Amino acid sequence: MTFSRRSFLAGGSAGALALLAGPRLPAARGLLTEPKLDDLVKRALAAATKAGASYADVRVVRIRRETIATREDRVERVSANEEYGVGVRVIAGGAWGFAATPSVTANDAERAARDAVATAKANASLMKRPVVLAPVPANVDVWQTALIKDPFKIPLEDKAELLLAINREAMKVPGVKFATSQYAAIAEWKLLASTDGAYIEQEIVRLGPSYTVTAVDDKRGEFESREHDLPPRQAGWEYVESSSLLADARRIGEEAVEKLKAPSVAPGKKDLILEPSNLYLTIHESIGHSTELDRAMGYEANAAGTSFATPDKRGKLRVAAPHLTFFADKTTPGGLATCGYDDDGVATQKWNLVENGVFVGYQTTREQAGWIGEPASRGTCYGDSYGSFPFQRMANVSLAPGPRERSLDDLIAATDDGIVIAGRGSWSIDHQRFNFQFGGQTFWEIKRGKKTRMLRDVAYQANTIEFWNSCDALGGPASWWLGGTLSDGKGEPGQVNSVSHGCPPARFKQVNILNTNRRNT
Amino acid sequence: MLTQPDARRLIDRITALVRATKGAEAIVAVRGSREGNTRFAVNEITSSGDVDRLAITLTVQLGQRSASATTNQQDDRSIDDLVGGALRMARLAPENPEQMPLLGRQSYAPVKAAADPATAKLTPDVRAKAAGAALSAAAGAKVVIAGFVGHGNHSLALGTSEGLSAYHAWTTCGMSCTARTPDATGSGWAGAGSNRMADLDAAALAKAAVDKATASAAPRKLEPGRYTVVLEPAAVASLLAFLTNSFDARRADEGRSFFSKRHPGDKLFPETITLRSDPGDAALASAPFDGEGFPLTATRWIDKGVLTGLPYSRFWARKQGKPASGRLGGGGGRGGDGGGSVGWALDGGSATRDELIKGVQRGVLVTRFWYLRALDPQTVLVTGLTRDGTFLIENGAISHPVNNFRFNESPVQMLARCDGLGATAIPSGVEGGAMRVPVLRSHEFNLASISEAI
Repeated sequence: MTFSRRSFLAGGSAGALALLAGPRLPAARGLLTEPKLDDLVKRALAAATKAGASYADVRVVRIRRETIATREDRVERVSANEEYGVGVRVIAGGAWGFAATPSVTANDAERAARDAVATAKANASLMKRPVVLAPVPANVDVWQTALIKDPFKIPLEDKAELLLAINREAMKVPGVKFATSQYAAIAEWKLLASTDGAYIEQEIVRLGPSYTVTAVDDKRGEFESREHDLPPRQAGWEYVESSSLLADARRIGEEAVEKLKAPSVAPGKKDLILEPSNLYLTIHESIGHSTELDRAMGYEANAAGTSFATPDKRGKLRVAAPHLTFFADKTTPGGLATCGYDDDGVATQKWNLVENGVFVGYQTTREQAGWIGEPASRGTCYGDSYGSFPFQRMANVSLAPGPRERSLDDLIAATDDGIVIAGRGSWSIDHQRFNFQFGGQTFWEIKRGKKTRMLRDVAYQANTIEFWNSCDALGGPASWWLGGTLSDGKGEPGQVNSVSHGCPPARFKQVNILNTNRRNT
Repeated sequence: MLTQPDARRLIDRITALVRATKGAEAIVAVRGSREGNTRFAVNEITSSGDVDRLAITLTVQLGQRSASATTNQQDDRSIDDLVGGALRMARLAPENPEQMPLLGRQSYAPVKAAADPATAKLTPDVRAKAAGAALSAAAGAKVVIAGFVGHGNHSLALGTSEGLSAYHAWTTCGMSCTARTPDATGSGWAGAGSNRMADLDAAALAKAAVDKATASAAPRKLEPGRYTVVLEPAAVASLLAFLTNSFDARRADEGRSFFSKRHPGDKLFPETITLRSDPGDAALASAPFDGEGFPLTATRWIDKGVLTGLPYSRFWARKQGKPASGRLGGGGGRGGDGGGSVGWALDGGSATRDELIKGVQRGVLVTRFWYLRALDPQTVLVTGLTRDGTFLIENGAISHPVNNFRFNESPVQMLARCDGLGATAIPSGVEGGAMRVPVLRSHEFNLASISEAI
């Protein structure tokens, strides 16, 4: 027997039915659901409820990945990967349970639902407090990445040729010995339905083109690499077409060669200007992760760690200089974590985490909102596949620009003695998000307001709170730039999240600069 | 999960479809697993689940062109799409002069007792019992505990259109706990992995974490600097993974590795240092072949401190006129690219941890490292932090807990300055994956700056 989508909703939730008649659905671009999924979803939710679940959600997830990897004049790997499956998450006896299968049939979804309830019941006696979910409207909607050209429909040869052309250009630079380039496109389609009335389809398309050029000095037996800074984005192929990836290839190659010849940095305290291509990851590690409520409450203590930003410090702790405001935003256009609804079925939003330098907000899920007395979730729940238990994951967390226009060049011109760092290098931070150490891709010495020469072996090491309080200058609105990563890790077993971070260039006073050169030891 | 005959039929079906296209050759990998886990934190269970996974990967070779496609669906339409998609992409892909012909029939040394029947059938209530033991230990000591119990039942079947047929089934399991004192000034960790759940003693692991949390409360300040260190196995494994990752002949020959300036026969380390890969080590979830079906064999890469050689991929071996050794991969659990690990192990010694401590006038005992990242591949310089139990050693005994540190150090120097090795263990939940490594004493270890993190 099959159910139409409408009959599912009629039988499932009065709230959902009411919304179906509301203004949102007609405005949506169209439904993607296969009709048979209505039946699967309804039966899985019913099986969970019958087995004793007080709450259940079903996620049917299809993830497609296309990757191309090249090296110098050859394509090393072309691959397409598709993963499809259904995961059922339940609360029974006050405890969570989860089960998932790649067999997307109503019978197997029902079996997963019953397994999930059995698992929850096995854990119920070890719960101190039952899981309580913050209320949410019964959202019924469709959401898709805004894109012009579907990257999966662009011919493979075009993509491979772009990468090979980049390698060719970079290899023309004397001293360049290796060039590797990669392209990844990921399409994540999912249908979420819950016993609280959610029925939400979303398709999120992300792109990650990148390349690395390596220069080698055979005589000295040394090498240096330079990666391009183009960030991954939620976008169509037009993002790649309009980028300067190919046009930059020679410059990237030249910078690799220049870095190889550059003098090693003298360690010590220096003023530091961080370009957004470097600063975004510092925001990710020091502000993004520290304001995840599960970490702050000890829920990730065994792996990812805890946080200095504990609830007792909310509204009190001066994390940053008073002119700095950090916000979370799952609606940022092109942001990798942007979507219409999270995996709890909560509509996405924008809110402040650090306001005028003071820590004020957390990233939460429906389960977590009540832990800090908030009436509703911030909508940051995510599971990275059908087989992953959804939990709190980072929103796009960004630093607001300064109020008046000020460019990177303005910051450099106003600096007497310092270093400017661009690009993502090595990064590491402690498990409470205090002590961090970051590298970069390029390091330029600044003397009397001018970039003088390239340096190498540079890393900056600081304490999060001291570092952000040492910020004395920010770029303006026009200098704001959205970086991002496709590989934010958290949880056990580890799950991957894609997330963007926007920021202007910024200057920091007297930061500890290390020399990472151990070539002669 | 697919049975071995089911996987074989699937591979035969796919290779037959590919061979219908003239000149097309195929390698098919069918990976299946059922994995379960239970997480606990703040002294209660926080989530738990079981997941079935399947991945059918087809790589088509058309002369020097190739492409791969993967699906987790086995219905006729999905298989047709898989084959059609891989063939289409392979035709479009530019030629790769480095592409090697597919392997034909091979023979493999079986990994004894790789799949433990009890672990393969493990149910959520067994995990809940293990988690319950940890929660009880924490309640008794009035500390806050978080942790993870996980297990998996895995299989990998490989086949090529040239007649290769390989199959391996194995189980995995692990448990780790982090206990913290209620005043958040002390933290302790313990964890172990195996392929047999019966090897894991949940109560003993929890007790070790709880005792360490209590002992590490209220740390005193210790200045950064170069110290003699006693590194417990979890710390050793996570740093050593950066060295095992460097074992690759091509990167060395191309001037991009620590090994670029070293040669077989060079004595790099003291005689006590022997580093090996052993695909027959069932407790490390090892597999006897790599992702191309190339047989992996037990090898001593560092023998009594001397570099014996580096692994060659099939292409690089042909180019350089050397025997191929298969694709090893570096980290324990993530290596081997065949699905299992290649079983990296650093040989231990006869000393206990406390005997190693006894020989230290002034030094630091490290439980584990965190957030390790490479700084310089040429020297294998790595940064990272200590966590969950860091203590000052004075006059041959643990004196008191100290603050955590960021280190900037190389596993090369860790081994070069090593003067004491103890019993080996397989720490679980360690960055870098599962390895068998000892507790180790080394000197002049660069603890570069203080971390306030507890």
